[in-house]
Amino acid sequence: MVMSITFEKLSYTYQTGTPFEHHALQDISLTIADHSYTAIIGHTGSGKSTLLQHLNGLLKPTSGKLVVNGQMIDTKTKNKQLGDLRHEVGFVFQFPEAQLFEETVLKDISFGPKNLGKSETEALEIARQKAKLVNLPDDVLEKSPFELSGGQMRRVAIAGILAMQPNILVLDEPTAGLDPKGRIEMMEMFKQLYEKEKLTIILVTHNMNDVANYADNVIVLEQGRLLRQGVPTEIFSNPEWLNKHHLGLPQTTAFALKLQERGINLQELPLTEKKLAQKLAALLQREVK
Amino acid sequence: MSAIIEIENLTYRYAPDDIIPALDNINLSIKEGQWLAIVGHNGSGKSTLAKAIDGLIAPQEGTIKVAGIKLSEDTVWDIRTNIGMVFQNPDNQFVGADVEGDVAFGMENQGIERSEMVKRVHEALTAVNMSQFAKHEPVRLSGGQKQRVAIAGVLALRPNIVIFDESTSMLDPEGHRDIIKLMKKLNTEEKFTVLSITHDIDEAALADRVVVLDNGKIIADDSPEKIFARGQQLIDLGLDVPYPESLKQELAQLDVVVPKEYLSEEGMIDWLCRLLLKN
Ligand SMILES: Nc1ncnc2c1ncn2[C@@H]1O[C@H](COP(=O)(O)OP(=O)(O)O)[C@@H](O)[C@H]1O
Ligand SMILES: Nc1ncnc2c1ncn2[C@@H]1O[C@H](COP(=O)(O)OP(=O)(O)O)[C@@H](O)[C@H]1O
Ligand SMILES: [Mg+2]
Ligand SMILES: [Mg+2]
Repeated sequence: MVMSITFEKLSYTYQTGTPFEHHALQDISLTIADHSYTAIIGHTGSGKSTLLQHLNGLLKPTSGKLVVNGQMIDTKTKNKQLGDLRHEVGFVFQFPEAQLFEETVLKDISFGPKNLGKSETEALEIARQKAKLVNLPDDVLEKSPFELSGGQMRRVAIAGILAMQPNILVLDEPTAGLDPKGRIEMMEMFKQLYEKEKLTIILVTHNMNDVANYADNVIVLEQGRLLRQGVPTEIFSNPEWLNKHHLGLPQTTAFALKLQERGINLQELPLTEKKLAQKLAALLQREVK
Repeated sequence: MSAIIEIENLTYRYAPDDIIPALDNINLSIKEGQWLAIVGHNGSGKSTLAKAIDGLIAPQEGTIKVAGIKLSEDTVWDIRTNIGMVFQNPDNQFVGADVEGDVAFGMENQGIERSEMVKRVHEALTAVNMSQFAKHEPVRLSGGQKQRVAIAGVLALRPNIVIFDESTSMLDPEGHRDIIKLMKKLNTEEKFTVLSITHDIDEAALADRVVVLDNGKIIADDSPEKIFARGQQLIDLGLDVPYPESLKQELAQLDVVVPKEYLSEEGMIDWLCRLLLKN
């Protein structure tokens, strides 16, 4: 069965009836296909995190509904009706390492499966597997998570989430605060999870290079509304539109645009460095001949 | 210009039996008014160095002088009045009920007179362009706005050195641009000495000088241009590769002959135009 995620006219209001009432999401209808890599972009405060928190029922719609893995959630849905959804949707919040608490890395990762009723040995086996999946070296497994580097602590937290065997992985600015090397490694790891483990990935990010390099579906939010949804080439094909909405471009596209303005004809604006390099190399070859 | 910070043979271990010290025989002299970027991968010792300069940790070996005064137990409080620190996570820096109260907090601790406090809060909030938010609750501001308030709190104490420890790394692109602009203003117009600890290439590019730390040692100390010419190596140094450099590498892999020296974005565009727009 193909499981997808659908939002139907979903709205969410914080603190209804108080002076702090805020319409964080308004009339959102969209579909996220199974096994897609979706990027959600938009300004701070546009509603990205609010939207994500609906995916595992952490927040319930104020009106409208959504369906995730065949499970419908609307304003009346009770937590106990959500059943397996809480672990089918793996949620990586910003700074997930803040939630580590066990004495050893392995214990921390196996906590979730044990809670789901797996035996000690099964849980530890799953933990070892997931540690490998997030590229944690063997020699850290018996260490305290608090002795590790920031990037490694974050991997432990992510392995703990993967140990619940989710089929949807939700990532809210997962590389914030990592150094460039840590960021690249983390993004490559998500790509592997997407390609090899066939997870559906939903990523909130401000980094347009990551959108261009990894996503196949982009959702743009503005002030709680769905501004646009499409593949990256569509979203980034119109620099004026992006400018008007104060959204950035991938570095390659911004650079290519400057070349166009100087009179170098690239036809379509490329999104990735490789594509631009190929186009330029082809043009240079023609010059030589 | 004279040196405002002088560090000699500084070594620091968090625990006496640490094999690799967090700071390993650091020698560094920073001129008054200079903008120094401190880069290095996670765990290379950047924050430890900042803490040592601010007297938050006491080095086991070596000396630190700030504005000519040697840092010791007796001088640490005086020295600290010269230095303001802005940290990574804007959410951890708030103590006041409203923005004003927050900016005033540090001054209350220093026993500054009420009328003087009011004046400085106003000046500091104006400098960071946040006066219209004086009565707002800090928790309801955006990340960039929170960082601006944190900076105002530092400015109100009138330091001459401001240390930014990855202060832009958690902000969205607009907040990020905002804070970098503000840092630039503080350095060029208000003549603060700026130490910026960063992984961000745009932030490092604004520095007069870039120092690279690795395992607690200074492994490079040069102009941004010279450091940026290191290409792919920069990733290991805790920086991104500047876009023109990484595009050059992609082109080289496609057998295009590329210039060896560092090209800025403008330089790269000019070079491509010269080749492609000959006629
Ligand atoms: N608990 C809350 N009470 C009131 N307003 C809130 C609350 N949480 C978030 N908001 C507001 O909802 C809007 C959307 O927030 P959020 O989903 O966190 O945005 P994003 O993740 O895109 O930055 C923001 O304006 C935010 O201030
Ligand atoms: N409070 C601490 N106790 C023990 N070790 C620490 C502490 N803070 C940092 N370290 C260690 O000191 C080294 C340098 O850390 P730090 O200065 O924070 O690096 P950076 O700021 O460059 O990421 C790292 O190996 C780190 O694990
Ligand atoms: Mg958010
Ligand atoms: Mg640090």
